[in-house]
Amino acid sequence: MADKYLVEPDVGFIKELGVLGGDSLKKCFQCATCSVVCPISPDTKPFPRKEMIAASWGLKDKLIGNGDIWLCHNCGDCSTKCPRGAKPGDVLSAIRMYAIGHYGGFPKLGALINDPKKLPVVAAIPAVLFLVIGMILKMFGIDWLNFSPERVYTSAADVEGHIAHAQFFSTWLVDLIFVPLSIWVVAVFALGLKRFVADIHANALAEKKTDKQNIDPKEFVQALIRVIPTILKHKKFSECTENDERATPHMMVFFSFIGLAIVTGIFFVVLYVFGIHGPYSQINPVKILANVSGIALILGGLLMIKNRLDKKEEQQTTYKDWFLIGLVLGLGVTGMLAQLTRLADAAFLTYLIYYIHLMFVFVLFMFLPFSKLAHLVYRTVAMAYNEYAGRK
Amino acid sequence: MTENRATPASGSIMVVGGGISGLTTALEAAEVGYEVFVVEKNPYLGGRVAQLNQYFPKLCPPTCGLEINFRRIKDNPKIKYFTLAEVENVSGGPGAYEVTVRLNPRYVNENCTCCGDCADACQAEIPNEFNFGMDRSKGAYLPFEMAFPSRYVLSPQIIGTEDAKRCQEACKYAAVDLEMTSKTLTLSVGAIVWATGWEPYDAAKIDNLGYGRYANIITNMMLERLASPNGPTKGKILRPSDDAEPKSVAFVQCAGSRDENHLPYCSYICCMASLKHATYIRERYPDAKIFIFYIDLRAPGYRYEKFYKKIKEDKNVFFIKGKVAEVQQAADNHQITVVAENAVTGEKIRQTVDLVVLATGMQPTAAINRPPVSDLCYTEDGFIVNDFEKGGMFGAGCANKPADVVSSNQNATGMALKAIQTLVKR
Repeated sequence: MADKYLVEPDVGFIKELGVLGGDSLKKCFQCATCSVVCPISPDTKPFPRKEMIAASWGLKDKLIGNGDIWLCHNCGDCSTKCPRGAKPGDVLSAIRMYAIGHYGGFPKLGALINDPKKLPVVAAIPAVLFLVIGMILKMFGIDWLNFSPERVYTSAADVEGHIAHAQFFSTWLVDLIFVPLSIWVVAVFALGLKRFVADIHANALAEKKTDKQNIDPKEFVQALIRVIPTILKHKKFSECTENDERATPHMMVFFSFIGLAIVTGIFFVVLYVFGIHGPYSQINPVKILANVSGIALILGGLLMIKNRLDKKEEQQTTYKDWFLIGLVLGLGVTGMLAQLTRLADAAFLTYLIYYIHLMFVFVLFMFLPFSKLAHLVYRTVAMAYNEYAGRK
Repeated sequence: MTENRATPASGSIMVVGGGISGLTTALEAAEVGYEVFVVEKNPYLGGRVAQLNQYFPKLCPPTCGLEINFRRIKDNPKIKYFTLAEVENVSGGPGAYEVTVRLNPRYVNENCTCCGDCADACQAEIPNEFNFGMDRSKGAYLPFEMAFPSRYVLSPQIIGTEDAKRCQEACKYAAVDLEMTSKTLTLSVGAIVWATGWEPYDAAKIDNLGYGRYANIITNMMLERLASPNGPTKGKILRPSDDAEPKSVAFVQCAGSRDENHLPYCSYICCMASLKHATYIRERYPDAKIFIFYIDLRAPGYRYEKFYKKIKEDKNVFFIKGKVAEVQQAADNHQITVVAENAVTGEKIRQTVDLVVLATGMQPTAAINRPPVSDLCYTEDGFIVNDFEKGGMFGAGCANKPADVVSSNQNATGMALKAIQTLVKR
């Protein structure tokens, strides 16, 4: 405590945390109840008391590069027991969102999804982009966006034929857009993570949370593998007492995303390697996995909304939260409806819904590094770092 | 030439509550010539102060000050006091109130000499509320040695039983009167001072601090009784689980105070009380270690600050900035481990001790039992807000705000003046 430390408050940062749902932070009087009632806070340099004072002093640099903010799983025990209503859970959630914006880079893109007024712009990006690319291709005679799609006949016996979404929006067009988009997402994350890991390591050294001087990539990957079971089982979530009902919907959404990623991967291979076009049979095991995942996604999304509405008093829900839940639910609902309307042979409706579904997928991908969903990358890496560094 | 400038002492004042504030208001008003009625719900006067071992910061026994007040009451024909009495109804307005008071039966009349034969004869035992239920007293009992009025009481629980008859038969002075019933009387008064005092906050409501679950977690007021020579342990501080002398004691400050989930305000006295309690323990057990966990230590004013500085010099008293938010009990020896984050070092501390004292705060009695009147104004927390414009009724002492004895007395003196002004204005 002898060293002098000149506090240089970043007032803009404090205000920004308020917008992101941390406006209660100034109520904190540093009693440290939060650090003790937190079921997952360590004994050495526990959180979130120290984050609360750093936040009210506007010490941005001490916070966004602090791995501890990612160890917090927003259980809410701290907010419930807080004697002042300072809601440390919400403040840490706001800091994480700020950190996502910081490491994501491209502040203008990040700003688009933190402002409800910009939602039409966010939706317009894929809607316009799909049309423009489709039209440009048409000028070169490539008809990948076909407004009068033909029916597909699987065999001579199939007299009536059926709808195939690819007839309207070609899989070539989908992949022409989504493959580069995925590369962009990976690149943005790679750039962000490089700075992120360097910062959390520097912070851990400064706060004496680790003995490791350097990061050994091989050991780091091994640590990452070690934390995967914890993440899959949602072990940290189940340690929460106040918000334990949150674990189930989170798990549903989490595993449905994994399921859908597997489905996408398999069908990608089926299409490009084996040249078999969709739509695939409803009793195809991969299709079943897709449907189960889709249902889990919708139910999980609905449960999340219910929990948030039930917890209005205890937990703030801001636009960043609604945006992600809306995206998840919209993705599941449009995906499911596109399939159902296709099976019901409602041509116009199913093409329209499919188009909207693609818009949802695009927004999810494009804004993945900037939205709250980026926590899946940053939290995983922070947990891996924590495992690697042997956080005391 | 002398001129008689004394204010005509017309009209009477009612003081509800016979604790230190009520007594002060009553005496100050009576000693300038006003008739005062004191209404006390307990069978004795003195209130919370009577339960204390010592005052801070002088560390003198409160009974000494109470005795002087009791003497003044006895000598003053202007004061009439009613124990076991409760206000049932108030009508009228400033200057002219009609107050209905219910007098509950004591079953012991003024013949009582405090010989104690009734208690010896009585077989039934009841929890001793004066000692917060830490021991039991007979169904016929003297609330405490220095009780004023010094007269035994029969608990309503033994009325109608063989015990009551045994008490009556044992009394040589025909002091036990089982025919007593509750009575109501109506008093006309010009002003009412509500000195209804406070209750220790119910520590069982603070679920993470383990009170009621673990025997060796007690409250600060319980410690006062343990330290008092007339308490359940005759002044020995022993841990409840096995009556062993504690070698280490942790104090949990702000137990329920400054907490929106309990009492949102600072109870004012708990820091000084715990510092005083440290002296109780250090005096009895020179090697005992004391750990005081606090958010902020509040020792207001020069004299309290000096007291705090003196305690701070003690090598066996450790101050830790950080609120205890978790407690665990060891299965074998019933020791308690308190958990806090030391906000100065930023490390969690797990301190295992023999005894834990929760520095619980004060909740105004009016928050639990509202006076039966409609025109009193309260804060959200149940403290009486005084409306001096309207006058007539006033809150004094801890009914008005959390306060120590000195401030309560100052406040109570002021309210005596306010009550007198109500009478004189008429």
